[in-house]
Amino acid sequence: MDTTPTDALISQLDRLAGEFAAAIAPLDDEQAMRATQAQFLGKKGQVSAVMKELGKLPLADRPRVGEAANRVKDAIAAAVDARLAALADARRAADLARKVDLTLPARPVATGHLHLLTQVRFELVDIFAELGFAVAEGPQIETDWHTFEALAIPKDHPARDMQDTFYVADEIVLRTHTSPVQIRTMQAHPPPIRIVAPGVVYRRDDDATHSPMFSQIEGLVVDRGIRFSDLKGVLTHFANRFFGGSGGLDVRFRPSYFPFVEPGVEVDFTCAFCRGKGCRLCKGTGWIEIGGAGMVDPDVFAAVGIDSEVYTGFAFGMGIERMAMLRHNVSDIKLYYEGDLRFLRQF
Amino acid sequence: MKALWSWLLELCDLPTMPTVEEGVRALTGGGLEIEGLTDLGGGFSGVVVAQVVAKRPHPDSTKLTLVDVITAKDGPATQVVCGAPNVPEPGRKVLWARPGATLPGGITLATKPVKGIDSPGMLCAEDELGLGDDHAGIVVLDADDPTALGAPAQRALGVDDWLLDVNVPANRGDCLGHEGLARELAALLGGRLVQHDVSADLVELASELRAADLVELAIDDAAACPRYVGRIVDGVTVGPSPRRFAQRLRAVGVRPISNLVDVTNYVLFELGQPLHAFDWHRLAAPPRIGVRRATAGERLTTLDGNDRALEPGDLVITDGSGPIALAGVMGGQATEVTAATSRILLESASFEARSIRRTARRLGLLSEASQRFERGVDPALADRAAARAAVLLARLGGGKIAVGLADHDRRPPARPPVPLRLARAQMLTGTALTTASCEDALARLGCTATADGDGRWLVSPPSARADLLREVDLIEDVLRVVGYGEVPATLPPLTAAPRPLTSTIADRARRALAAAGLTEAITFGFQAPARLEALGLPVDDRRAQPIAVRNPMSIDQAIMRTSLVPNLLAAIARNLSFGLPDVALFEVGSVFLRADGQPATGEPTALADEPTHAAIVLHGSRPRRFGAAEPWDAFDAKGFALALARALGAGDVAVAAAAAVPYLHPGVGAAITVGGVVVGHLGEVHPDVRARFGIDGPVYLAELDLGRFAEPGPVQMRPVPRFPASSRDVSLLLPEAVPAAEVEAVIAGAAEALLERVALAEEYRDAEKLGPDKKSQLWSITYRAPDRTLTDAEIERAHEGIVARLTAHLPAARR
Repeated sequence: MDTTPTDALISQLDRLAGEFAAAIAPLDDEQAMRATQAQFLGKKGQVSAVMKELGKLPLADRPRVGEAANRVKDAIAAAVDARLAALADARRAADLARKVDLTLPARPVATGHLHLLTQVRFELVDIFAELGFAVAEGPQIETDWHTFEALAIPKDHPARDMQDTFYVADEIVLRTHTSPVQIRTMQAHPPPIRIVAPGVVYRRDDDATHSPMFSQIEGLVVDRGIRFSDLKGVLTHFANRFFGGSGGLDVRFRPSYFPFVEPGVEVDFTCAFCRGKGCRLCKGTGWIEIGGAGMVDPDVFAAVGIDSEVYTGFAFGMGIERMAMLRHNVSDIKLYYEGDLRFLRQF
Repeated sequence: MKALWSWLLELCDLPTMPTVEEGVRALTGGGLEIEGLTDLGGGFSGVVVAQVVAKRPHPDSTKLTLVDVITAKDGPATQVVCGAPNVPEPGRKVLWARPGATLPGGITLATKPVKGIDSPGMLCAEDELGLGDDHAGIVVLDADDPTALGAPAQRALGVDDWLLDVNVPANRGDCLGHEGLARELAALLGGRLVQHDVSADLVELASELRAADLVELAIDDAAACPRYVGRIVDGVTVGPSPRRFAQRLRAVGVRPISNLVDVTNYVLFELGQPLHAFDWHRLAAPPRIGVRRATAGERLTTLDGNDRALEPGDLVITDGSGPIALAGVMGGQATEVTAATSRILLESASFEARSIRRTARRLGLLSEASQRFERGVDPALADRAAARAAVLLARLGGGKIAVGLADHDRRPPARPPVPLRLARAQMLTGTALTTASCEDALARLGCTATADGDGRWLVSPPSARADLLREVDLIEDVLRVVGYGEVPATLPPLTAAPRPLTSTIADRARRALAAAGLTEAITFGFQAPARLEALGLPVDDRRAQPIAVRNPMSIDQAIMRTSLVPNLLAAIARNLSFGLPDVALFEVGSVFLRADGQPATGEPTALADEPTHAAIVLHGSRPRRFGAAEPWDAFDAKGFALALARALGAGDVAVAAAAAVPYLHPGVGAAITVGGVVVGHLGEVHPDVRARFGIDGPVYLAELDLGRFAEPGPVQMRPVPRFPASSRDVSLLLPEAVPAAEVEAVIAGAAEALLERVALAEEYRDAEKLGPDKKSQLWSITYRAPDRTLTDAEIERAHEGIVARLTAHLPAARR
């Protein structure tokens, strides 16, 4: 059977569809596929070249050829879509086939460490801030007057033995306590005063529980009508916030002597670890000694020009290392100051 | 102060007999902390008082004795074998450790044969009971010993007793004797103090001599010596003290010496009054006792045999011929009591606390006496103590007491009574005190209170209580007796106190550096001079002029730090020694610089400048997952420094070339500036410096003076861009010596309104392609207008302007 030119053209077009399918089969990226598509369907493509023959065909045959051409174009487009979809499926499958051993080490995110004493100090200041205390500071190299004289500890007073002092000059010392900040604050501000003063202090003392430099936090409240019982209330609040957890810790006052307070007391908290039952930490007493406190002595008020008939006040001082030691089970005070990363990075 | 429970009870009349635990609780609750409680007889048990009824030699030994003892009158006798040479005659009492008794060292006695004869336990010597060191023979009780047969040996030995270690506060010198403690115990337990009345004994023991004929007092300095009482005891014989008397002294820590010396110590511990016994015959005749300041060049050989140079501040006792004792500190050897002493001048005095303190401290002679004088001895005690001691001397030494006493009495007049207001006491304590509770407390304390109107008293404290001077002192003592447990817990009313201005910059810095991944160290404010010298600072640098500590505990703490760097370098070295190779630390803290106008050396006359610094040190490698190390470099230090400066709110932060810092590498160091002012430095630590700290490998540091940063105000928002930015790059060929900051400055200085940002994108060197000492840099410049999208033409115009400026201002070629 003779094939007409029309039939020949149509079969040529149909063949192109097959050729295209073969041409893109090995391709795995869209760009190459589109280029191949252009080779077939572009103005200078193979389909166009075939279609140039259309003018030579009888008019009646032309619609059949046009249908064939459209069929080829659709087939090519469908082939591209199918191939792309298959490739996308393959890529997704390959991606999902990945396995990563997440038990390998993490990429380190640098996490720094505030010193334990800094963290505890922040917490102490925050707790007292709840009760309206502001923070005050003073110099570490301090005058003898601010450190002792104004605090009712004249030269040759036996109480100077309680705090063995580093001297820099006759009248200049390394402060042995943060109490000179009381004096500086009262000199600078009229009552009412409500401050805490954290800071480092120095004493000639060096053993497992004493360091020649250590930190204290001092508190001072001066106003009309301040009572000894207010001291107990403030320290009770503090004890429960810092050590308490569920609360219920008591404060015990034991009479003691500090020249700059009268009455003066040693302050004990109910042992937070055994809740007062007695344990190793409190040496079986149920109480933990936490610091010294008392009502501001009238002689101290006189030294800074505050009328003790009008104003009364209380002051307290506590060791920050000791509080950190108690709560974090730190075994040796020296660890705080050696810059030992094995210690510092624990907190 | 060591105190014996039995001695305290002897001086108290209490409503009910407290246990020692109750006593300890009361004293501690009253402010006299009992730091130790020792059962003196706790070292042994099962040893009893027994009476010797017969003795005979051991048949097979010349050294052993067979002793029959009884432990009840007319009871059955037991035969014990004894090896001591001093087995007493029948009738005397000894101490028998029966089978089952335990002795110090964990020995338990049983019945054992000694040379063939069974001995049920043994008779004890002192040392076998852990008391003293006498092993010359067994303990034989005094002939008149009253202890019942069969009673525990502890009772006979005076060790059925408790030793209290009392922490006496500095203002309670009155509690450095049993009487003072007994006064406290009585007040706290609702009893009263008992004082020995010796007036009858003085009459009984009086001799024909008169004190006035035997000693004269010629004391001018009433301030140095407000009271001096002398008594004469004649005809005494030196010998050992009675066993129980000596035992008390031994228990409180004093070695018994002889009856005469022991009496002075006994009364010191009983009443708190130091006493001294002079051998009257060794004094100038007749003694004319004076108290004065030593003169320069005077010397005195003290009891301990040391020949001491005296200083003009020292108080001395003189006898008309010269110094015979250091007043209140130690007696002189030439006049001390000896075995031949028969007549004693007893000194009972009070001296100025300050002088005693100075002399005792200078000579390192902290005696029982000086410790009491330092805290103040009640001048009213002198004659009572002298009388008590004279009676004891006469009784124990077999002598008589000269009639009368020499008394220099220049006590200040009695203190006026102290007013006490109930309302004030209630207000100050916040405690429910009443008229009745106050009056009861005052009475218990031995104070005389006279009502002075409604709710007011005039209070006269006992003379021993020199600390009760003011109303507040009385309020404290009343509250002590009432009990601090009665104080409620209240909160002060909230008032708006003015907020003192305390800088928060240091804490902001700490938080920022920790957030950046560094670990905070806190190091001592003092350091070793060698560590500062290791920095190699020139002598005129302020930091090379540290303030020295006059009395450091060690050379490592001899100077105040002027920089945080040395202690941090030492911390690196320490971590390396712990086997930690990677160290990244920071510290924020004060450094101490001599104030302006202060001399560069010597002791300062003004307080220091104490600026707060922040310092960062990096050694080893950055944190990494695993595999090859990624060493820190100077740009890490720069990154931390810039992060810190930005966290402190500084806007115009830059790093610029600066004059060489001695402790930094000469080629790797720069200044950190804020607004053009140098606020710190960063770079690599000079290899010589780190080598001095024993660090092998580079250290990078940054240090900033936080005092140069102002407390930032609230951050103000800048408008968020609404139109897109465009970037253009320029590649430049530059001489090696041109710093990047200079290129940046030329670009930034272009006054180009569209310029938004400049960033270095690439840098490379290639001697063959670019030529030696040349570098190629690719800079990326971003342009933006706030109000429109830029056209290509606008961007090109701006960019070409900047490129032209670069080639004009720098030895730069466009590539």
